[in-house]
Amino acid sequence: MQDEKDFIQELLNPLTQNVAFQKLLGMYQRPLYNHIRNIVLNHDDADDVLQNTFIKVFKYLKDFKGDSKLFSWMYRIATNEAITFINQKAKRNGLTNEALQSKLVDNLKADTYFDGNEIQIKLQKAIAVLPEKQQLVFKMKYYEELKYDDISEILGTSVGALKASYHHAVKKIEKFVTAN
Amino acid sequence: MKDFKLNNENKITSGFVIPDGYFEAFSDRILEQLPKEKLKVITVYNSRKNWYYAVAAVVILMLSISIYNKYKFKQEELDSVTLENYIACHSNISEDEIVKLLEQQELDKMKIELNAPDHDIEDILQSNSNLEEYLIN
Repeated sequence: MQDEKDFIQELLNPLTQNVAFQKLLGMYQRPLYNHIRNIVLNHDDADDVLQNTFIKVFKYLKDFKGDSKLFSWMYRIATNEAITFINQKAKRNGLTNEALQSKLVDNLKADTYFDGNEIQIKLQKAIAVLPEKQQLVFKMKYYEELKYDDISEILGTSVGALKASYHHAVKKIEKFVTAN
Repeated sequence: MKDFKLNNENKITSGFVIPDGYFEAFSDRILEQLPKEKLKVITVYNSRKNWYYAVAAVVILMLSISIYNKYKFKQEELDSVTLENYIACHSNISEDEIVKLLEQQELDKMKIELNAPDHDIEDILQSNSNLEEYLIN
């Protein structure tokens, strides 16, 4: 934790800022990209959201209280940015969130940056019809393999509730894939 | 179709592909953008500073108006005091001269004001115990 405090100081100090930020990008750009991509599904959108996320991290780092880990704080920003992005996209296209999710999954087949087989697409379709929270928990646990404790700190939900959400999500997904 | 069980299957990955060299390019792009963000912060600070100046100007203006009014009021007070002192000190101005300066209407008013009823005068004389002393001296 002390190391993290020192690292934050390096990020805030104009003399060490650039090197420290490069280090931060090296550590977090890949996991945060994967997290965002799992929510927005498309590469270009994930790129936009990742960029906004790092700019916000840079902008608000001085206000970071250290109540949670830097990792969770950044994931929280990324999650909020991605969900806001999806909501705005749905509104712009005059669609509900669920309809947009299904449309995005349909677009995956033609996406240059998607190389999935039938079962991968079917799983995405099954996830798209889940409630937002269950989608988020399932993606973070199954695809990103995050620990429940970390997910709990990021989403501000108890571990018990997360386990229940994941369990419900898996049951619904299994039912969907079996039926389709 | 047999029941699909997620745990019985091999791990299903997302299938997302990331363009080659994306992260290297991304880092460069972000690091290039950061100084601009700093500049933006300075701009916000400047506009805030302008607001502070504007608020300070309004406060100073308000204070000056109230101080001016207060000063103006004191000036008027001083003037009448000076005038009274002047009149009091220059006792060589005779009553006749003052009467000449007053309008007839004002003089009539003064007469009416001084026209106290007889019984009031009697009451005042009776209540004044030192009257005899004054009369003797």
